[in-house]
Amino acid sequence: MSSVDEASRLVIEGLSRSFGETRALNSATLRVCPSEIHSLVGENGSGKSTLIKILSGVLRPDSGTLIWEGEVKQLTSPRSAQGMGVATVFQETLIVPEMTVRDNIYLGTDRLFRYGHRKGEEIAGARQALTDLGLDGLDLDQPMWTLSLAERQLTTVARAIIRPWRLLVLDEATSALDAQQRDRLFDYLRLARSQGKSILFTSHRMDEVLGLADRITVLRQGATVATMGASEASRRGILGHMSGREAHADADVVAETTPRHNGEQQHSSQPRPVLRVEELTLRAAAKPISVDVRAGEILGLAGLEGQGQVGFVECLCGLRRPVDGRVLALGDGGQSHTVRSYRGANRLGIRYVPRDRRYEGLFGPLSVFDNFAITLWSDLSRFGLLKRRQARKSFAAFAASSRLVSASPRRPISILSGGNQQKVLLGRWIAMRPRVLVVNDPLRGVDHNTKEELYGLFRRLADDGVAIIFLSTEIAELLTLTDQIAVFHEGSLVAVLPTEMSSDTDVVAAMFGDDKRHGGADD
Amino acid sequence: MTSLVSGQARPSALSTPAVRQILRRNSYAAVPLALLIVLFVVNAAVQPQFLAQQNWATSMSVLCPTVLTAMAVTLPVLSGNGGIDLSVGPLAGFMSVLISTVLVPAGITSPLTVIPIVVVFGLLSGAINGLLVAYVRLPAIIATLGMYLFYDGLGTEVLPQAGGSVPVWLVKLNGSVGPIPAVWVVFAVIALLWTLVSRGSYMRNLLAVGGDERAAYTAGVNVARLRLVTYSFGGLLACLGGLMLTGLIQGGDGTVGPPYTISAITAVALGGISLAGGRGGLLGGALGGGVLFLIQELLTDAHVSVYQVSVVDGIILIGALALNGTVEHLRRRSSASRR
Repeated sequence: MSSVDEASRLVIEGLSRSFGETRALNSATLRVCPSEIHSLVGENGSGKSTLIKILSGVLRPDSGTLIWEGEVKQLTSPRSAQGMGVATVFQETLIVPEMTVRDNIYLGTDRLFRYGHRKGEEIAGARQALTDLGLDGLDLDQPMWTLSLAERQLTTVARAIIRPWRLLVLDEATSALDAQQRDRLFDYLRLARSQGKSILFTSHRMDEVLGLADRITVLRQGATVATMGASEASRRGILGHMSGREAHADADVVAETTPRHNGEQQHSSQPRPVLRVEELTLRAAAKPISVDVRAGEILGLAGLEGQGQVGFVECLCGLRRPVDGRVLALGDGGQSHTVRSYRGANRLGIRYVPRDRRYEGLFGPLSVFDNFAITLWSDLSRFGLLKRRQARKSFAAFAASSRLVSASPRRPISILSGGNQQKVLLGRWIAMRPRVLVVNDPLRGVDHNTKEELYGLFRRLADDGVAIIFLSTEIAELLTLTDQIAVFHEGSLVAVLPTEMSSDTDVVAAMFGDDKRHGGADD
Repeated sequence: MTSLVSGQARPSALSTPAVRQILRRNSYAAVPLALLIVLFVVNAAVQPQFLAQQNWATSMSVLCPTVLTAMAVTLPVLSGNGGIDLSVGPLAGFMSVLISTVLVPAGITSPLTVIPIVVVFGLLSGAINGLLVAYVRLPAIIATLGMYLFYDGLGTEVLPQAGGSVPVWLVKLNGSVGPIPAVWVVFAVIALLWTLVSRGSYMRNLLAVGGDERAAYTAGVNVARLRLVTYSFGGLLACLGGLMLTGLIQGGDGTVGPPYTISAITAVALGGISLAGGRGGLLGGALGGGVLFLIQELLTDAHVSVYQVSVVDGIILIGALALNGTVEHLRRRSSASRR
């Protein structure tokens, strides 16, 4: 396994970096050995991303030393880091949409001008890298924007591994992948480790950290608080180091008990359905889907990547037209309206929180407050004049209830951490008092504490009678939060599992199309 | 027209990988190419003298500065982040002043000295734009507007109206070599040089930086240096345009340059090049210049006044941009539905 006795490949000491008043890194240390998979963990804002950006040459540190294979190095650009042997996959899937898959993979490997025919070499290399990652069938000449989010993310991994690397850095590089794709990637990483290479990765999935890493380094508030072997580490111990609060380690237990109680309450009183899906067909060969969603219910959506759950969500909020069937919003007085367009869905109180916050949700240069209030103005204006005071009141209430951490609501939203950005995005729609809230994997790349807070937020909403449709790639999350879990497979809804009677394995079984629990699915 | 746009997906006789790749790389140029052909046919039908051999040489030499300045603007636009070069017109005009009032009086008339001077001047003035945009990080539209005013003022100060003299070979460049307009030779040389440049990695890096700057930077592209080089190439093309313009007007004139900036930007839009960067190529600028020229030919033939031509130009610019957006939208939607 890990060979700490060997000379370290990478030693980082006393690394510090500030952004204005904020000390993102405060004398952090890190040691990575050859033949090691090393995990860097910490909550959002603990300095992981800053450390990785310094290591990959994107940011310059204020102070500290970086020793690479025995030599002190100064990194001046991503190119210099790559030249040294560090290949990085960044948290955001950085691609050039108009360019082909091959050009995206080989992006930046050349100097500004370079001649000499390498086309065959590139095709072979790209093909090999994609095969290693399980994307054998991908057409190398298709433009990047035609790929799914998971394929894009794997292509950025391919971009890193075609370089002559000795340390591969993965910053939340599995966030868009399904379980199969992730396992395939991990197999590749283990193989690379056996060849003497080093891997440094961050993940918010504790099972990935414990299952993959040889050693774990915990960062808190920009400083290294612990480095331990994975065999001696426990989930609870790591969480304790991350938060600095021992009590915090019990959060999982609390989280698991609350929704069950809540669910029972809701079911006993049988509130009215607010959304009805009738004979909805997502694709040609798929079975029609019929399902009711009740007020106050949290319906989870699960499935492997590309099994139709995203299309289903888009049909619910009018972004996509189904092949057949319809979605009805049911009013209080028994009246029903068909969802025909996104605007129509919004008028009917169906609100959608998209998956990719950077492109589909946030206005980067606008302030936190403006990002929050953007949906409110149509209600809070008279003769084109905005009622700012009322909007501010509503923002203050939201910030308090969601424990939003922000220096000032006037600062641009781009300076907030991912978790806080997500809170603002959710708050924007919650302030509209939705009847149905459709969320597409909202907690992707959000740290543990913020997740807990957002779980609470969702539950309070459900208690207030909002129906929540919650698509997630994390089964544990669905089991924690939802009342029922609808599982998709090949475009059909194959099971609706009552959460309190289901286990991890039941959901996984259904995701792989195991039909045993099919009874009662189509109602 | 439509079949050309989406043609890359359909297997046909033209489906060898190399051909397919060329079609795919240049698919943005399908609409301007079709426009060019249609306008050419219309021109030939409306004006009987349009196809006459004497008219060819004249037309091509009038067209030449428009096309070269359009190509000069194309490169900064492709580099993204609001890239543009407004200074191309006055810079081209300033070339005529430089040649006729500085070089010729100083006895520098040989093509072997004049052309290198123009090339170096072009690269350097483009590099100034590049430094301002990539290293000083000024918005391109402001930085190059500054340079526009600079060359405009300098040219008009030195030579407020047409005057001076030019070398004979420069005038001949606007004539014919046997039956072939000499301008074609100039175009062929530029096309050849550009093919050599884009065979390497430069074009991929340029489109990557224009397409997503952060992706390009983190992947290892030296974004700032690429922009510097790109603006330098732009300056070079503008100055070559100025060289041809000098031969066309057979003298120097400090006021002749500025209108070329507007026509160049219109041509870029007509050439199917995304003003957001990352999609298009030098060919688009050339085709756009041709389309613009043919439209103006038609208008001139119909005895439309100069002012009305300007009104039409404005409408064309806006229409071309709208068309770009629509074609892009349709292309994406048809590809998305195929998946």
